[in-house]
Amino acid sequence: MTELLQTLVLGLLLGGVYALAASGLTLIFGVMRVINIAHGAYVILGAFVTYWLWDTLGIDPLLAIVITTPVVFAVGWVTYKVAVSPIRSAPMSSTVLLTFGLALVLEGVMGEVWGNNSTAIRPSYADESFTVGGLFLPKAQVYGGLIAVVVLVALWLLLTKSWLGRAIRAAATNPASAQLVGIRVASVAALVFGIGIAAAGAAGAITGVLYPFVPGSHYQWIARLLAIVVLGGLGSLNGAVLGALMFGLAETLTATYWSPAWATAVPYAIVFAVLLIRPQGLLGTRLREDAVAA
Amino acid sequence: MRIQPIWVGRVIAIVAAALLVIYPMVSDDIYYQNMIILSLVFAVGASGLNIISGFAGYVSLGQGAFIGLGGYTIGVLAGKMPDTNPWLWVPLAGVVASAVALVLGFVSLRSRGPSFVIITVAFLFLVQVIAINWVSLTNGTAGLTLPLPTWDRDIINWPFYYVLLGILAVQVLLTWWIRRTKLGMGLIAIREDETKAATIGINLPIEKIIAFMASAFMVGMAGAVYGYYLTFIDPRGMFSILISVQLVLSMLIGGKGTLWGPVVGAFLIEWLNEMANNDWGGGNARLFLFGGLLVGVVIFLPQGVLPAVQSALEWSRTRGKAGLVGARIGTGGSLASITDRVQLVDRAELPDRPILEVKNLRKHFGGVKAVDGASFAVPEGSITGLIGPNGSGKTTIFNLIDDTIRADAGEIWLDGKRIDGRPSWDRAHAGLGRTFQITRLFREMTVLENVVAVQRSFSIGQLGRIAVSGAEARAAEELLEYVGMRAFRDQKAHALSYGQQKLVELAQILMLDPKVILLDEPAGGINPVLIERMSEMIRELNSYGKTFLLVEHNMPFVLGLCDPIHVLARGRTMATGTPDEIQRDPAVIDAYLGDDFVVEEKVEA
Repeated sequence: MTELLQTLVLGLLLGGVYALAASGLTLIFGVMRVINIAHGAYVILGAFVTYWLWDTLGIDPLLAIVITTPVVFAVGWVTYKVAVSPIRSAPMSSTVLLTFGLALVLEGVMGEVWGNNSTAIRPSYADESFTVGGLFLPKAQVYGGLIAVVVLVALWLLLTKSWLGRAIRAAATNPASAQLVGIRVASVAALVFGIGIAAAGAAGAITGVLYPFVPGSHYQWIARLLAIVVLGGLGSLNGAVLGALMFGLAETLTATYWSPAWATAVPYAIVFAVLLIRPQGLLGTRLREDAVAA
Repeated sequence: MRIQPIWVGRVIAIVAAALLVIYPMVSDDIYYQNMIILSLVFAVGASGLNIISGFAGYVSLGQGAFIGLGGYTIGVLAGKMPDTNPWLWVPLAGVVASAVALVLGFVSLRSRGPSFVIITVAFLFLVQVIAINWVSLTNGTAGLTLPLPTWDRDIINWPFYYVLLGILAVQVLLTWWIRRTKLGMGLIAIREDETKAATIGINLPIEKIIAFMASAFMVGMAGAVYGYYLTFIDPRGMFSILISVQLVLSMLIGGKGTLWGPVVGAFLIEWLNEMANNDWGGGNARLFLFGGLLVGVVIFLPQGVLPAVQSALEWSRTRGKAGLVGARIGTGGSLASITDRVQLVDRAELPDRPILEVKNLRKHFGGVKAVDGASFAVPEGSITGLIGPNGSGKTTIFNLIDDTIRADAGEIWLDGKRIDGRPSWDRAHAGLGRTFQITRLFREMTVLENVVAVQRSFSIGQLGRIAVSGAEARAAEELLEYVGMRAFRDQKAHALSYGQQKLVELAQILMLDPKVILLDEPAGGINPVLIERMSEMIRELNSYGKTFLLVEHNMPFVLGLCDPIHVLARGRTMATGTPDEIQRDPAVIDAYLGDDFVVEEKVEA
């Protein structure tokens, strides 16, 4: 019973981190109809930047989020201006290929800079745990999960309560009309891409503390994130959070009670099944390019 | 004498093929032989990918899986049956790859565009995970060792080299053949506009599944030869996503949808790949190269090298002057003067029955009742009009009749058979043809290809018929002559004006030889001369027994042409009658025509 409870709590904490990373992916899709396959690479980039801050400057990795996030935001913003904006009007399949190419380039860059060996961020509390009513909860996981929730709530407030959030939603619903009422759609798009990438970076900073990583880990991440947002419904922020919590739970339960070898197949199987059986996911709308113009 | 560009291309291809054939005989440089062998494997893979991605428009990042499956087929079987000659397993590898491709084919029935790309990535990783975990068959991550070649060391690479060259030759021939057949036309139509393709009789599931199997067969065989050549295979190498990326890149750089583009691209990319591995330090350099190229190609060269070269040559030849576009549309003349396949029918012999009937048709979009219990009949041999205010549900009814949108409830009867519940292509085969309010030609296909893409009935054998020349093309040209568009036969559809597109779409529908023709605003947005010609053609076709149902806002056009006329309001038929009755019906005047409606009297000559 204790083991199950502990697994559930850890699963939810992990789900919070996944939700943070996935929210960026779903935000970018919802606003600009770009499926950012490079999202996993930005997660790893966030982890490497955090590693560098911790390793060379000795900054606490979880506190370093306040530096990591703006840095990754800037990288995302530049990426948008350089690579994504020239093909905004191209078919969606082209942007999938483009962002896949970006992921490979990022993987190569990280490999050059930090090497392809397994990297781990181990702050002083890495091996410490809280003990609450017989449950052992690793400190890093608890801090990480809580920080993820805080960042996620901030993001949610930004998108729903601020002028910027309204501008973003207007630009997503009807870019031409948004332009007419004085929203600079191009700037908003760059900003959204940056924010989405920054969310990935923040999540990367947290997971860097939880698990070791290599540049090639981004494949695993994009598979996981796609599974989450596809499950929740592409473009739906609430769906992404719901999908992430479910996925976090499923992953910890599988790791605890079943073979980890086949567990790697789970995200792919989810993507496969959901896109076939219920393409709109749990909370999303149908993802179709060929919608009939009646 | 001017040399045709096509011959320049053919000479280059023949010379390149000859060089490839003699290369191992004149040089024993193993480095370059190895590079060519790998290039051949990727050329087969990219050319196969071209069938589903270049023609049918389904971009796949899972194509590399078929190379891996081919390798594993020969690896596993050679291990289990060491006494059998491994070459025997090569064709079987093709069968295995095709069988697995069937799965992707079924996937393509439910998903397209970006979600299909994502699925193909998931598919590749799933295959890899299975290869890793099914240890009893694949030996897991430790991999499989194949038997070493037993033949003379001096020609050690020759069998691999020539078998792959042969496989590539067959693959290119297959692609060339598909491009010329009904199947190929259907696939390109699917790429351009899948919903529309279904309405002109293209059986989407069968064509897509055939395409997926065709795209994998030769690739599986090439993968088997590749595995035998490597003599060692493991899941990480054989199912690496980078192989798929290399295939997609080869196709994109060379030019997707072209015959030679993927082959040229494969040689180019493999050469760069070798450079990255040997001169630039491998690993990360390869990632830069492939990633950077993918980004660059998508942004700067979306159509690929060969089409870019071709259009540059074309431009220098014509000096950028426009082709035929904008020329006067031909006058056509009567269809009977062009072909002997049509005959006048005696109206008295036509049975007095509805050939098309809808009963209680319903379609709601959320709370909007677009069609709310519409019922009407179209008598055989008539030109029936369907009028009503904007938003009364006319176009939606057309969409329900040809299954562009599936009805919520109600019955549709065509020629005594109930057709609701049947897919679009089935309805087209049953005798239904339909034009769209905003024309939906296949933009990247020529005018002729647009017309020959039509499939009157379905059989596997028919898919293999040559479409772009011979009897099919002649029939299409007759119809183009009739609508006055024959001179434009080799123009791309997107280069035509709206009115011209309407005429081509009419020819396209006539190619179906339908019993009932649904025209959505045939007189909308075209000049008065063309409107006159349009009604002349409708009358003439009607005299050959074709029944028409048309939606139109041009009242003189409708009232002069149609009888009976159905009036639609709020998704229901509110009145039916002759033009005279409709004009006088107070309810129709109130709902649609308005109090001040007066039809101009036609001045008789």
